[in-house]
Amino acid sequence: MNGVMIAGIGNIPFGRYPERTVVSMGIEAGLAALRDAGLAGGAVGMGIFANALAGKLFGDLTIGQNVLAEMGIAGIPVINVENACTSGSTAFHTACMAIRSQEADCVLVVGAEKMCVPQIGLLSSGNSELDTLLGLVTPASFALRARRHMTEFGTTLEQLALVSVKSRRHALLNPTAQFQKPVTVEEVLASPMIADPLTRLQSCAMADGASAVLVCSERLGRRLGARVRVLSSVLRSGEYRNPQDLVRWQTDYQGARLAYEQAGIGATDLDVIECHDAFSIAEIMHYEALGLCPEGEGGRFLESGAAALGGASPVNVSGGLLSRGHPVGATGVEQIVELVRQLRGEAGQRQVSGAKLALAHCMGGDRAADTKSMTAIVLGV
Amino acid sequence: MNHDKASPAAKIASPPQSPQPVARDLYQALDGDAGRYALVAGHCSGCGRHFYPLPGRCSSCHGPLTRALFGERGSIYSFTVVRTRAPFGLPEPYAVGYVDAEDLGLRVFGLLDPGCIDRLSVGAPVRLDVLPLGGDAEGRPCLRPVFTLCRQSGKGGEQ
Repeated sequence: MNGVMIAGIGNIPFGRYPERTVVSMGIEAGLAALRDAGLAGGAVGMGIFANALAGKLFGDLTIGQNVLAEMGIAGIPVINVENACTSGSTAFHTACMAIRSQEADCVLVVGAEKMCVPQIGLLSSGNSELDTLLGLVTPASFALRARRHMTEFGTTLEQLALVSVKSRRHALLNPTAQFQKPVTVEEVLASPMIADPLTRLQSCAMADGASAVLVCSERLGRRLGARVRVLSSVLRSGEYRNPQDLVRWQTDYQGARLAYEQAGIGATDLDVIECHDAFSIAEIMHYEALGLCPEGEGGRFLESGAAALGGASPVNVSGGLLSRGHPVGATGVEQIVELVRQLRGEAGQRQVSGAKLALAHCMGGDRAADTKSMTAIVLGV
Repeated sequence: MNHDKASPAAKIASPPQSPQPVARDLYQALDGDAGRYALVAGHCSGCGRHFYPLPGRCSSCHGPLTRALFGERGSIYSFTVVRTRAPFGLPEPYAVGYVDAEDLGLRVFGLLDPGCIDRLSVGAPVRLDVLPLGGDAEGRPCLRPVFTLCRQSGKGGEQ
């Protein structure tokens, strides 16, 4: 995808902000991205705002206009995006489309979410959907995959727990991560059971937060001294085949393959990967679907150390969703923020040395045992 | 075709306490009151595909669908016991799973009998039942289809 660059990034640390609103968090992240790019608000030609839950939790809609108006940006096209956990990455994908089609020269993407409120409950794919009425809450849908993965491939409880252990170890190196206390395999397995075999420490927690990126044309990017380029961006929905294979997630495999094809790379070329580790089993399955290891080998791949900082394919060195935090609408944008830091060599203690190629991967929503939405974005310098 | 328990007339005639099916056209009693049930799929005569739950039309060729009953028996493909706060007034804990139906080749998501939680295993044979379990969005009690473990032997001995 020639011609799309990332000129600015901004975020606030993820955590609990009882006194803050979605709008105020979004503004802070957006202003940080403008500062990082060295641009004034007047340069922004389009705004895309990602949020998944404010409509449900607060009854708030079309929030993007409020965020941009309070940043002094008005009179331009503004798009609000809801696409479950891929809301942020879908907003980013839409920004890339706008730049490529020359509809805009400079697009501000902001993702913000406020989840640490009493009315949140358990997340599902939609209150009126049949699966939800029959008890399919999000942790259950991943627990069902975990059980099947253990049955078919011999993946162990300890390997599942190791995802959280690695995640916390990485988050220790990320000052903006929500959870920075190390945990052991024993602690992960002894934490309360959510949906067996998944315990609480294998499930991402509620978080508030916001992230922003400034996406621009190559011409503007060069003028601003930007270096990070978008090599491909794939957005797809599920195929909802029945029977659906819960552990060979075809939508995941196919989306990743397409992103690599468009970028002209292979999985082993990647230096650093952020993937959608909403639950421990998810990361193990994504190793396989993203082509980092053979089918069924995810647990053993993790045990080998290959997915840790210093390994062959470092995954979620930011701490990922499990430890950096998962404010749903911000997550897909935050993955880009993190990878831009890595590609610029600005990731501090968690820097993957010499990182030149990065993948951001996200999935969101459930339908017929498939994901509703999947994104795979390849960045490079 | 005339087994639709959730028709508007039936709803009006029911006493307020009588639990209603959690969704329309989801399952159907077989053989009257014998306690046997099947799920309701849609069959497209145009392209031969089956869909569950029953949609309004074939998503492939957009043609009309006829009702096809299935899923009275199957085997557990995967399962989990949910131990967080239960939605829709479901019991705590409650179990859910994917079941491979013996017929039509469909894999369906569903509740598993709360009485079987300690005995669940991948591959275990199950049969469909319907139980008053939990409520709807307004908290009214509901009937939900539930897969329950088959007894080890004696196929004819159930119910």
